This record gives sequence, C-alpha cells and structure tokens, in this order.
Amino acid sequence: MKRIVEAEKESQRILDETNREVAQIKKDSSNKIASMRQQILREAIERREKALVEAERAGAEEAERIAIEATKQVEALSRIPEANRKKAVDRAMVLLLS
Amino acid sequence: MTSNLEKLVDDIISESKTKAEEIRKAAMGEIEESIARERAEAVREADQIIRDGLTESDAARNRRVGQEKQKARLAYLGEKNRVLGEIIQEVQKRLVEFCQDESYYRPFLLKAIAQGIEAVPSETVKVALSERDLRRFKRTKLLEDALAATQTNKKATLSDDPIETVGGAVVTSQDGKIRVDCTLEAKLELMKPQLLAEISKILFAA
Repeated sequence: MKRIVEAEKESQRILDETNREVAQIKKDSSNKIASMRQQILREAIERREKALVEAERAGAEEAERIAIEATKQVEALSRIPEANRKKAVDRAMVLLLS
Repeated sequence: MTSNLEKLVDDIISESKTKAEEIRKAAMGEIEESIARERAEAVREADQIIRDGLTESDAARNRRVGQEKQKARLAYLGEKNRVLGEIIQEVQKRLVEFCQDESYYRPFLLKAIAQGIEAVPSETVKVALSERDLRRFKRTKLLEDALAATQTNKKATLSDDPIETVGGAVVTSQDGKIRVDCTLEAKLELMKPQLLAEISKILFAA
C-alpha cells in the first residue's frame, strides 16, 4: 500500500513538474512572441523610413532636373533672335492698322 | 503478489508520464499555433506600415516634383510675359512713329473717324482728336473726307477739347451719351488677346 501511495505521489510530482514546465514554456513563448512582433514591426518601420528617404532623394533629383530644364527654357526665351522679334512687331502692326 | 504490486506501481508512473507527455504536446501545439497567429498578425501590420509608407513616399515625391514643375511653369510664363511686354512696348513705340508720318497716318485716322461715325447712332456727332492732331488737321478736310467715306448724311464737328492719345479719335453723340473710342490705345487693348496669340506664334512656336 505504501508503494502505491509513493507511486501516486511520484505520478503527481511528474504532472506538477510538467505543468510548471509548460507554464514556463508558455511564459517564454509570450516573451518570444512579443520580441518577434517587435522585430517584424521594427523591420517594417525601417523599410518605411528607407522608402521615404529614397522617395525624398528621387524627388529632389527629379526636382533638380526640372529646375535645370526650366532654367534652359527661360534662357532660351531671352535669346529669341532679333529677326523674330521684329517679325512679331511687324505682324502686330499689320493687325492693328488693318 | 509482489509482481502485481510492481506492475501497478509501474502503470501508475507510466500513466502519469504519458499524461505529462500529452500535456506537453498539447501545450506545444497551442504555443506554436499562438506564435503562428501572432506572426501572421504582425506581418499584416508590417505590410500595412510598408504600404502606407510607400503611399506616403509616392505622395512626398509627387509633391516635391509638382512644386518644382509649378515653379518652373511660373518662371517660364513670367519670362514669356516679360518678352511679350517688351514686344508690346516696341509696338507702342512704332505706333508713335507711325502717327508722326502723316502720309501713313491720315488714311488710318480717316478710317477710324469713319468707323466711329458709323458706330454712333446719332445724326450729329462730335469727333475728338489729340492736341497734335487737332493742330495738324483742324483746318483740313479731314471730317469731310471721313463723312464721305461713311456714305451717310450725318453731321460731324471737331471737338475743341483734345484727348490724350497717341492717335485715332473718339466719336460721341451730340448729347454725349454714346461714346465710341477709336484711338490706337483702345484698339491695342481690344486686340491684345489676338495680338499676343500672333506674337506668341512667331516667337515661341517650337
């Protein structure tokens, strides 16, 4: 009878130990999940920030290209040949006086 | 008897070990499922963050480019307007020169007065000229010639009050209620959209 009681005790000990072990694993996994989640979100935020920086750079590059092109076009306007200007004035005079 | 007892003890221990293993397995299953669920949720959130980031990036880039394009457009239009302004100034100078040459100017003035007379629905009209034109044409047959050109029976008199103009005339009804501005300034203003379009065609056509 004593042996049976001891076996029951041992059995209970095994189950208690298992339950403790499981509780610990669950606790650890909870931390692991939180850490994993943080890692995934941190990577996403890093990608987002990288994309923003990249977009900022690309936008600045394109803006610069546009500004250079605009300057060229404006400069071209100030180099309109005198003959064309005269032709424009002549045409305006003809229209006005007709 | 002893053998049976040993077996019973072994069974008790073995059963608890089996149960412990089952508990462990079930717990591991639950944990794995929980990890997978949480990972999927985190990945969904991360995807959303990245998508939002890309949208925001595109918007930032487009905003920057849009601002620069707008700036460029304004600079270009500003320069175009400056050039057009110069041409209009040149036209105004040429008009002054044109008015000084009587042989070219008189027929123009005649036509302008005739148009004004026709436009005013009054039997008697007044014609106002610039001070210089008054001096030049007062004692000439300017009005008679203009009336002849209209082929009407209207009467016209020259106003003694000069007007401020480079050239042309202002024709008013006798009671002064109807006024037709046939000056070069008025014509220039009236025709400005057409003139600017024509000038632009010549200057800016690529």
